Amino acid sequence: MAAPVSIRGVSRQFGETWALRPTDLEIKAGEFVALVGPSGCGKTTLLRLVADLVAPTSGEVRIGNDTAAEARRKRLLGLVSQRPAVLPWKRAIDDVRFTQKIAGKVGFDPAKVLRDFGLEGHEGKRARQLSGGMLQRVNIASAMAHDPAVLLMDEPFSALDEMKREEIGEWFDRELALRPKTVLFVTHHIDEAVMLADRLLVFSASPGVVAEIVSVDVPRPRDPSFRQDPRFVAIAAHVRGLLMHKAVALS
Amino acid sequence: MNLGMSWAVRILTPMLSVLGLWYLAIFFSGLPAFVIPRPERVLDVLWVDHAFILEHLWATLQVAAIGFVWANIVGIGLAILFDLLPFTRHMLLPAAITLRNVPYIAMISVLMLAFGDSMLSKTTIVALAGFFPVLVNTMQGLRAADEVQLDRMRILNASWWQTFSQVRLPYAVPAIISAQEITGSGSIIVAIAAEWMISSTGLGYVINNAMQNYRGDRVYAVALLATGLSFLIYTFVHWLGGRLDWRTGDPRR
Repeated sequence: MAAPVSIRGVSRQFGETWALRPTDLEIKAGEFVALVGPSGCGKTTLLRLVADLVAPTSGEVRIGNDTAAEARRKRLLGLVSQRPAVLPWKRAIDDVRFTQKIAGKVGFDPAKVLRDFGLEGHEGKRARQLSGGMLQRVNIASAMAHDPAVLLMDEPFSALDEMKREEIGEWFDRELALRPKTVLFVTHHIDEAVMLADRLLVFSASPGVVAEIVSVDVPRPRDPSFRQDPRFVAIAAHVRGLLMHKAVALS
Repeated sequence: MNLGMSWAVRILTPMLSVLGLWYLAIFFSGLPAFVIPRPERVLDVLWVDHAFILEHLWATLQVAAIGFVWANIVGIGLAILFDLLPFTRHMLLPAAITLRNVPYIAMISVLMLAFGDSMLSKTTIVALAGFFPVLVNTMQGLRAADEVQLDRMRILNASWWQTFSQVRLPYAVPAIISAQEITGSGSIIVAIAAEWMISSTGLGYVINNAMQNYRGDRVYAVALLATGLSFLIYTFVHWLGGRLDWRTGDPRR
């Protein structure tokens, strides 16, 4: 299950500071949109606005036919944070079940999800008994356990080393093919964004303005060899250029 | 073997140093034996008078335990109320702080005037003396829940009760346990103080009675017993707190 997300004139001000200038964006059901940009540019604010964790100063977010608040009440949203939200006293499988219990929705069979996520044999382990990569997989499994229509991910792989990050990114791309979701994915990592996303929302530096929307017209899931593809290299260079250019302009 | 040695050292070293200081005080102070008796005399009193002392120890333990339970009910209950209805915090916390700063002796006197030498007056003073650390620690503990866990509960549209019982309270457990280090051992001390002032039972009464009869050895015996008891409670709570701290380790492995 996946739902379209419509962001219409959404902005957020904290006091006098603009965290996000009025922004418009239409995201198709099942589309993967990466939000990239320097720190403090408004990426996470936009994610939290869609999550209904922050109220907009102006504009409206709609998920399917629902407002963000209605979507949250209907448990249509899943959140993957940078630090895993796995409860330290719960076993991996119980943490996945916990999401379903709170949401009142059994989206997927917890044992099967963990098996599909490569965690067979680790279902009974607790957070500190799992490696960083495994823990983040449990975190994603828990966030998806109630089968949300939209998955909101805030730098989910940033705590992992480069190799692990690529590996888990490729795995996640394949996983989404099995369980399609609309994804908003905040990252600082340009290559990761180009590898995973259908579109990249490139932010300028603070105050938060979207500088450009870059499309990656290559079907997902993508083969790891895409990293060597001239299109990948060209798009990554273009995004890097956009961010550098903005940084230079600011300095 | 190493673990056993280390425990032996941790227990024996303070005991030996206390005994050493005790003998030095006897030797250098020149005070009479009824003011500072020898350790073996104190142990002898504990042995000979054990029936009498145990009877009063039981009375003290009852006062301390009931007061301790009430201190926790009031402390944890208020912290939960403040979390559920934040405006009650502004209403009640200043009163709790004021109560905390009233000298215990004044409170004991008032309670004695109100309820006389009764279980109610003694347990009330233990509860009044003990609830504040529980309240403060529980409030801090309830705020210690990881923000990512709270976001997770919000995105799942969890109720206040679900968030409280499944996330906030478990995260507060180490802080609540830690408060017992103060309230648990303090309950014994406050119970004895209350008995010393107003009661005809309990270790406080035994001390009072011994003083009137110039039985310094009995005072020391009770003090030794009460100190050991408080120390045991403190050590147990400290150990339990370490076991249940989610941040430092896996608590239920």
